[in-house]
Amino acid sequence: MTLITATTRESGLSAAAGRVLTSLHKSLLWAWLDVICQYRRSRIGPLWETINVVVMMLGLTLVSSAIFGGEVTSLIGYIGLGIITWSAINSLIAEGTTAFVRNAGFITSSNIEIDLYVGRTVFKIAITFGHHLILYFIGVGLMIIPLGWTSLLAIPGIILLFVNGFWIVTVLAFICARFRDVELIVRNLLQLAFFVTPVFWNHQNIAGNRRFIVDYNVIFYFIEIIRAPLLGRIPPLHDYLVAAGATIVGFALAFIVYRRMRRQLAFFV
Amino acid sequence: MTYVRIKDANVEIPIYNSHALRLIRLPSFRLAMVGTSTVSQSGNVMMMHALKNLNLELSEGDRVCLIGHNGAGKTTLLRLVAGIYPATSGAIAVEGKVFALLGNGTALNNDATGYENIKLTANIRDWPRARMAEYIRDIEEFTELGEYLSLPTRVYSAGMQARLAFALATMQSPDILLIDEGIGAGDADFQEKAQARVQQFVSRAEIILLASHSEELCRALCSKALLLSKGERVYFGDIEEAFERYAALR
Repeated sequence: MTLITATTRESGLSAAAGRVLTSLHKSLLWAWLDVICQYRRSRIGPLWETINVVVMMLGLTLVSSAIFGGEVTSLIGYIGLGIITWSAINSLIAEGTTAFVRNAGFITSSNIEIDLYVGRTVFKIAITFGHHLILYFIGVGLMIIPLGWTSLLAIPGIILLFVNGFWIVTVLAFICARFRDVELIVRNLLQLAFFVTPVFWNHQNIAGNRRFIVDYNVIFYFIEIIRAPLLGRIPPLHDYLVAAGATIVGFALAFIVYRRMRRQLAFFV
Repeated sequence: MTYVRIKDANVEIPIYNSHALRLIRLPSFRLAMVGTSTVSQSGNVMMMHALKNLNLELSEGDRVCLIGHNGAGKTTLLRLVAGIYPATSGAIAVEGKVFALLGNGTALNNDATGYENIKLTANIRDWPRARMAEYIRDIEEFTELGEYLSLPTRVYSAGMQARLAFALATMQSPDILLIDEGIGAGDADFQEKAQARVQQFVSRAEIILLASHSEELCRALCSKALLLSKGERVYFGDIEEAFERYAALR
């Protein structure tokens, strides 16, 4: 079988980069419209999810200080930022599983590039994450969270997290469209991952012989490269290396999945 | 140069049953077996042979309607040309910018208003930004939707959706326009306007493929017909001749 899409396409790296940028721009606009519609449905829009984060943050801080000890005021920054970052990771994984299934109507009836469905999902989550960051600034205002030059180091961490969002959503969207039970499995594991990852407990408190739970947990490193600088600590280089490694492996995986499943997508979505 | 060239194309569509759509497969009751001339089964996956050894050459100015019974392969052919379905074997060459109008609507977000959907479509389809105002005026005029354009497209009737979708699809005059049924929802007045718009279009030498059960619409918009039956090409050429043969098939 040969498919020749003869439409003249420029080749070369700069042209490829240009295509990626336009496709990012288009999906950002689509996600933006989704957020606008969310605001129209309820006046505070995605802030509803922020309220959700606040409730989780208060509840878990209370429980955590009771079990592990420590002052509520010193814990709340750590736990709050942990939950904000976790909620972004959680959404990337959970919504990634349905990114194609939700858009099945478009996929089978229009020739829009499928990257846009991935981009739409990632940007929507990024915009919601931006809303949650309001809580961070409230924390800074109340002097619960320190503010310094180190805080700026969180920016590369946030960018790295959402860059990873693209491969996470791509891989899960394809696999979960083809194998519908994977979505349920992923959702179950996600719940477990929340407890296993040091989001609301401190990783230094873990028993030495269980250290591997933290050491081999990739999600933990992505949380640390955002949370640590915001709390005034410079994350060790090791954390960045793990995150960068995960990025490379992830995109390689996305490339393989894309190559294998792209053509068949309209059949099983 | 705009063309569509399909040579000996076969499209086999796998039908995944609930079993095949699972990664973890527990033993279950035997599944119903189906076997017809178009459906075969291998393991858990049934294969539907939707297009068989199809040959088709379209060049500039060809306005073709696809006719045939339900399940004859009309939509599959449109999806093949749009690049939504891959061919199992054979060769396909498509040159030109394609706009596929295969669903009822092309609204990218049904909670958003008509105007917002127009703007988003413009961005996604790379319409030149400088002419945006002109495009919007043109769509307002063509669709006659008036203040409905300021309402979420969710509340539109099927006919209104068809108007907007058709306006969006033809706005930038794609080189190849693929239409499936949907615009049949429009009323007589709309069909007249659609015809006028398509005429404009063809003067610019483009290709149209339209699948419809409405003879009127086919006659109004097309100059040739392709009759399909059970995934095979039965006749390609004059519209009247095609409809006669179609009638004979029934």
